[in-house]
Amino acid sequence: MKKQKTVITLVFAALICSAACMAFSVTALAEEDNVAATDGDRIVRSVGGEVGTSDWRYPAPFTFYPRGPGYVRMSMLFDTLTWKDANGVVPALANGWRVSDDGKTWTFYLNKDARWHDGEQFTADDVKFTFDYMKDYEGEFTWFEAIDYVDNVEIVDDYTVIVSLNEPMASFLVDIAGNMPILPEHIWSSVSDPTKFTGDDAVIGTGPMKLVEYNSAEGFYHYEANYDYYNGKLIVDEFITMGVSNAAASLKNGDVDEATFWGSAVDAVNEFVDDDDFEIITGPSFWVLQIIFNCDADKGYPTNNVTFRRAIAYGIDREEIVEQKLHGGGVAANTGILHPDAIWYNPDCEGYAYNVAEANAILDSLGFTEKVDGIRQYPSGAERSGDLKFVLYTTGKYLREGELIQAQLEKIGIKIELTPSDWTTIDSYLRDAEFDMVISGHGGIANPQIMRIPDWPASTYQSEEYTSTFAEQEVTLDFDDRKELVNQLQEMVAEDLPVYTLYHPYIWCVYNPDVLDTWFYTRDGICIGIPIELNKLIFLARYGDANENGKINMQDVTVIERMIMELDEPTDMADANKDETINMLDVTCVELTILGRAPIRCE
Amino acid sequence: MHYISKLTYYLVIILIILSINFFLPRAMPGDPLAYVLGENPDMPTRMTEEEREMRLAEYGLDKPLLEQYLNYMVGLSRGDLGCSIYYNTPVMDEILVRLKWTLLLTGTSTVIYMLLGIFLGAESAWARGKKKDTGSLITILTVSSFPTFFLGTLLAIFFAANLDLFPLGGARIIGASYANPFEKALDILHHLVLPAATLIIAHIGGTYLLMRNSMLSVLGADYILSARAKGLSERYIMNRHAIKNALLPVVTMAALTVQFMIIGTIFVEKVFAYPGVGNLLYDSVLRRDYPLLQGIFLFIAISVVIANFIADMTYLWLDPRVRDE
Repeated sequence: MKKQKTVITLVFAALICSAACMAFSVTALAEEDNVAATDGDRIVRSVGGEVGTSDWRYPAPFTFYPRGPGYVRMSMLFDTLTWKDANGVVPALANGWRVSDDGKTWTFYLNKDARWHDGEQFTADDVKFTFDYMKDYEGEFTWFEAIDYVDNVEIVDDYTVIVSLNEPMASFLVDIAGNMPILPEHIWSSVSDPTKFTGDDAVIGTGPMKLVEYNSAEGFYHYEANYDYYNGKLIVDEFITMGVSNAAASLKNGDVDEATFWGSAVDAVNEFVDDDDFEIITGPSFWVLQIIFNCDADKGYPTNNVTFRRAIAYGIDREEIVEQKLHGGGVAANTGILHPDAIWYNPDCEGYAYNVAEANAILDSLGFTEKVDGIRQYPSGAERSGDLKFVLYTTGKYLREGELIQAQLEKIGIKIELTPSDWTTIDSYLRDAEFDMVISGHGGIANPQIMRIPDWPASTYQSEEYTSTFAEQEVTLDFDDRKELVNQLQEMVAEDLPVYTLYHPYIWCVYNPDVLDTWFYTRDGICIGIPIELNKLIFLARYGDANENGKINMQDVTVIERMIMELDEPTDMADANKDETINMLDVTCVELTILGRAPIRCE
Repeated sequence: MHYISKLTYYLVIILIILSINFFLPRAMPGDPLAYVLGENPDMPTRMTEEEREMRLAEYGLDKPLLEQYLNYMVGLSRGDLGCSIYYNTPVMDEILVRLKWTLLLTGTSTVIYMLLGIFLGAESAWARGKKKDTGSLITILTVSSFPTFFLGTLLAIFFAANLDLFPLGGARIIGASYANPFEKALDILHHLVLPAATLIIAHIGGTYLLMRNSMLSVLGADYILSARAKGLSERYIMNRHAIKNALLPVVTMAALTVQFMIIGTIFVEKVFAYPGVGNLLYDSVLRRDYPLLQGIFLFIAISVVIANFIADMTYLWLDPRVRDE
């Protein structure tokens, strides 16, 4: 009997332990600080992905995870010299700029009203300090590598700096001036290990938002408005980007106010089309899915033969893939990689319309004539023998595409062994040139810099002409000349087919306009090409929204517009934002249309 | 004497586990940097071969495997689990910040499913063959055999998406302001209901069956017969004689539960976007975050070993037959 008592005691001890764990957790969790929001605050919640994928590390300049979403979370806090809106480059910390004729000397006129989050004044010293610091710690800032172009920075006065380059850099205004976060000298001058520098001081910038809390476990970023912002009036009090388990359901439940969808999520987006509570904007994803061929001279037979690759291109029906997989949520891709919505797009690249006869003719001419059970055989004496068979690697996400390609290529007598794997594994095969074909995608295709080899995935492709053309466009300042070179690059890819592009998915932003109505897609992507909608300018009263309530409606109409629209009683003066100066912030949607500049959003 | 040999045995086990922890993640193809260049719909990072090598060297991944292993062991002996490659912070911090959520989730569900399982199992055995027994047997076995992610999705769709009774996921309302700690605890509990319910339903079957079987064999024992002969009431016999004895195997069960406390929740945490260790483990595998993987596995392994050790010791003490072997 005694022992039985012990047993019971033990069982209950175990249960009590569990209960204690629970109690400990509740107490520990309940004790955590929470920031009190005042009633009436305007809080905007945005989906940052699934939990686990919504964490992009601490949003300080040297600690954010070096991918688009990581950069964007940091960019809420730190401003750059220039920035981009829906139409292109706009002033940020620099009010204006001038470039010398040789393209090597850039003068920036800085904003005199900018202050750091801790109240310190922003000056030219901070800009010079940042450039020097980035050079000193080159490689620590993993987001860009172009700092090499910068020779030195000279301070003219408190609000003018001259940046001298070693050689002209065509994309300087975007890739460096619009990319490099300017750091406060009074904080960073004493920081010697920037990648380990976190904490409150590490997130003091000049941006429109201040960091309240970053939580890696729950994967959220909580920001509050920097009401002293120099570049416009804040229309949002708090902003949260967080992980959810299901974006569409969370939107409908009101847990979040905005979410991004892309590609095959078109079905989820379509559910919101008839829903009056939500609005949808469609954007370019600047993303491409492609088949990467092994072009390696030693390991790549027979895909290292360009004629062979063309046969495969003709044998793949890209329209069917777009229809079957994306249900129309994308378009067949530019075979020259760059996105059709990018200014660098070359519309004249060879399209390889689906053509089974052509594909068969090419394969026949290459000697793959003999067939066994409908599958072509390698010609005798070739490096490989037996069935013309390839392993096609892809991640689980693109299996459907793989199956369609498998079926299509079987029709021209090529056998495909579809092998799903995870991306990390595939990447190791790509780097070692141990593969036949891989289906894989990447973003950033608004910016020609993405076509650098071997940084984009076709690292087995060797072409001197390509490499020299790429290098030339990097230093060509004249837009038309550079565009011509970028056009040639795209044609070379379309001709040589180191990759065969499949499709560009669309990207959608679905949002609740009652909470925030200023969402837009950035021209050629945020910064160096990030396609997502989290541009910090959405937090500001922008062109068109004259009364700064975050919505563009009749109340924003100014006296000029009223006259144009033949309304009798003008409700407001041309100084729409009532700051007693008439400037760009007073310019509204109708005016912008008259001025020939498309507004961000117009109802 | 026996205790000492047991202790040595466990030390050897831990050493083997540590080695497996080290080599297993590295046996997977790829390395931690590939994740940076992954396929998500955003701007990829461009990295040259040299930069790549530089980064790998930073994490000490360029050294020979044996040297890395020794460094790892030396670090461990100082209690240093290393730094996560993805988060760039100490592994211990990343685990601890999530552990409280996992413990809350598993702790709550363990208490409930154990108690409920014991109670239902006993009741079921007592009413063996009757409608009550068959009914609960069939129901519990059916719902318990659903995979957790399926069950979780069902609950999420029905109770969260359709009825809007509970949140879809997460552990609390992010950015909420609470008037008092009580309100905050209530919010946390509100988020806990669905994931905990999923775990309870998924795990109750084991305890229930074990208790039912154990109870059945106890019911056939002589002392139950003599209790009946003494004229004791059925309730009294069940509570004071039968259940007490039938609980023995549940002790073992309780020890085995410890591993579930940390790891058994991966799917549930994924479905409900719950910020626990299971989620962290899943993501770390994708990211090939070796130090973090090692840390999590170590955590699990050590808690399982300790639990088994305690169970072993308890048995020695409880059951003289084991001690005499």
